[in-house]
Amino acid sequence: MSLLSFEKTMALMGHYGIALPAHKLAKTPEEAARLAATLGYPVALKVASDKIIHKSDVGGVKLNLRDANEVKRAYDDIALAVGQANAHAILVQKMASAGVELIVGGKRDPQFGPVIVFGLGGIFVEIFKDVTLRVCPIDKDEAKKMLHEIKGYPLLAGARGTKPVDEEALAGLLVAVSKLLNEHDEIKELDLNPVIAYPHGYMAVDARIIV
Amino acid sequence: MRDLDSIFDPKSIAVIGASREPGKIGHVITKNFLDGGFAGRVYPINPKAPDVLGLKCYPSVMDVPSNIDSAVVAVHADLVPGVLKECGEKGINGVVVISGGFAEVGNYALEQQLVDVAKKYDLNVIGPNCLGVLNPAARNDSIFLPIYKMGRPKVGDISFISQSGAVGGCIIDLAARAGIGMGKFVSYGNASVVDEVDLLKYLADDDKTRVIVAYLEGVKRGREFLKVAKEITRHKPIIVLKAGRSKEGAKAARSHTGSLAGSYDVYHAAFKQAHIIEANRLNELFDFSKMLDYPTCSTGGRIAIITNGGGTGVLAVDSVEDNGLELAKFSESTERELRKILPDYANATNPLDLVGDADANRYEQALDLVMRDPGVDIVVVIVLFQTVAIDSRIVNVIVKAREKGRKPVAVISTGGEYTEFHRRIMDSYGIPTYSSPSDALLAVSKFVEYCKK
Repeated sequence: MSLLSFEKTMALMGHYGIALPAHKLAKTPEEAARLAATLGYPVALKVASDKIIHKSDVGGVKLNLRDANEVKRAYDDIALAVGQANAHAILVQKMASAGVELIVGGKRDPQFGPVIVFGLGGIFVEIFKDVTLRVCPIDKDEAKKMLHEIKGYPLLAGARGTKPVDEEALAGLLVAVSKLLNEHDEIKELDLNPVIAYPHGYMAVDARIIV
Repeated sequence: MRDLDSIFDPKSIAVIGASREPGKIGHVITKNFLDGGFAGRVYPINPKAPDVLGLKCYPSVMDVPSNIDSAVVAVHADLVPGVLKECGEKGINGVVVISGGFAEVGNYALEQQLVDVAKKYDLNVIGPNCLGVLNPAARNDSIFLPIYKMGRPKVGDISFISQSGAVGGCIIDLAARAGIGMGKFVSYGNASVVDEVDLLKYLADDDKTRVIVAYLEGVKRGREFLKVAKEITRHKPIIVLKAGRSKEGAKAARSHTGSLAGSYDVYHAAFKQAHIIEANRLNELFDFSKMLDYPTCSTGGRIAIITNGGGTGVLAVDSVEDNGLELAKFSESTERELRKILPDYANATNPLDLVGDADANRYEQALDLVMRDPGVDIVVVIVLFQTVAIDSRIVNVIVKAREKGRKPVAVISTGGEYTEFHRRIMDSYGIPTYSSPSDALLAVSKFVEYCKK
C-alpha cells in the first residue's frame, strides 16, 4: 500500500468535482511567499510527498500563516523536519474559514467492496467515532440519510443559532466520493479529513488516497 | 437460481453412512427419518450392514434399484468426494454433507475436491460440516441430534438458515419449546457449494416461508448478498444475527477511514441498506420473527396499550418512547364506549388500564373497541395472570381478537409457570408474546421499521 501522489490525488478530486481550497506548489521559500500573496493570507503550508502519510505527525504541516516572513520560516521548518528528499515540493494552500468539521472517507472491504464513511471530523472522530457507513454506490437519498443518521446531526442542522450547513452540497460530495471509489478499483483507502461544511458549499481541506 | 426442492422436499432419501450402532450419527439420522414419520422412501447405505433399523441396506446408492431424490452423507471426510461422485452418477440432485473435516480444519484440498465433484455433476450440496436440514411440513429431518434431546418445532412459516450447527441446534430446540412454527431450517456449514445467497433466493420464492431468519458469521459474496437481500425485503422480512463483531480487521488500516470501518461496521451498513432487521441476541431472533410473522404490514406506529396492571402499563409507555414509537390517542367515540364497560374509577384513555379485577369479558369488550379505533395501528395487550379474575379464557379472547381485528397484536405477560404456560399456548396460535414490555416494544418497533421501509 502506498500513498497516491499529490498530483494524481488533485487530478482525481478535480475530475469528480470535489471542492478544494485554492492551492499552488512551491519549490523555494521565496516562491511560497509569492504564491501566498496571490492566494491571499492566511495560508497553510503542507509537505506534498507520497512518502509521508501522516503529515502533521512529522512536522509537515503549518497552519494560519499570516505574512511572507511566517511563510518562509514555515517552509524552512517543514523542509528541515521532513528532510530534503521529501521537501522538493511544498503545498501552499489558502486557509479554509471556520465551519463544521467533517470526515468523508472510503475503503475497500474484502466482502462488500468499496465502502463510504461519513461523520463528524476533528476531535469528534477520534473520541466519539460518530460516523456512519454505506456500501457503494449510493444515491443522493441514501447520502442524505447518512447526513441525518449521525448523532452530531444537530451541528449540521444549525445548533445554537448557527446557520445550517449546505446538505445538498454535502450529499453531492458523498455521491461523488462513492462514484470515485466505485470506478477506481486501485484505491484501497481514502480520507477527506477534514471537510469543512458551510451554509453554502464545503471545502475538502485535505485529501489522502492509499493505493 | 438453484432448485433446492430435492433438498427440502425429497420423495426419497438415501442415508449414506447409515449404521446399526445407536451411538453413530448415521444411526440417529436413519432413526429420525423413521420416528419423524417421513412419508417417502428411506434407503440406508452401508457396505457392511445387510439392514439398518429394519430397512434393507445397500452397499452404494448405485445398488438401489429405484431413483433417489436426495442423500444425507455422514461418512468419514476422506470418503465424501467418492460418495458424491456416486450420487452424481445415480442422478441424485441434492446432497446434505453432515461430515466435518474439510476447510474448517484446514483441509482445503479435500473441500476443493468436493466442490469439483459437485460442479461436474451439477449437485446442490449443503455443507460440509453441517447439522442438516429440517422441513417440518414434509417431515424431512436430517438433523443428526436425537429427538429426545432436541425438540422439533411445529409447522409454521418462519424459516431459518444457520451457518453454525451449534447455534442452529439451539434455534430448533428453542423454537420447539416456545411453540414457534418453522417453515424450513438449514444449517449450511462451510457453504462450499450452496451458500447463503442461494438459500436466501430459494426461501424468497418459497410460498411456505413468510419470514427469513439468518444466523451468519460471514458471507461469501458480499455484493451479491446485498443485492439479493435488498430485493427480498421488499416483500419478505429478513432478520439477521451476525456473530463476530471484533475490530481485529481494522487494526492494519492506514487511514482514519480504515480504522473507522471495521469488518462488522461494513456488515451493519450493508444490512441497513438491504432493509435487513438486525438482532443482537439469539432471543431477539424469535422476538422479532414472531412479530414480523403477520400477513400484512402495520399501518403505522401508533400503539394502544391495554392492561390489567397500572405499573406494567407505565413501563410499556416508556418502552413505546424508547423505541421511537407513538402512543395512540383514542377517538372520542372509543373513549365514550369504553366508559360504558369500565368501572367508574377507571380512565378510558391510552394506556387503557382495565384495573385489577378485569376478566376475560372486560378484555374482550375493550379489545373490540380499541381494535376499531382508526387512530390505532398496533395493539399491545398486557395480561398479568397473577390476578384472581384472569384465567385461561383470556387466551381465546386474544386469539379471536387477532383473527377478526385485522390489526397486529402483541401480548406482554410477565410471570412464572402459570404465565409461561399460557404464553406458550398463545405463541402456538401465532400470537407474539413477550415476558417484558421492553422486549415486546423493541420487537414491535422492528415490525414498524420493516413496514415503513
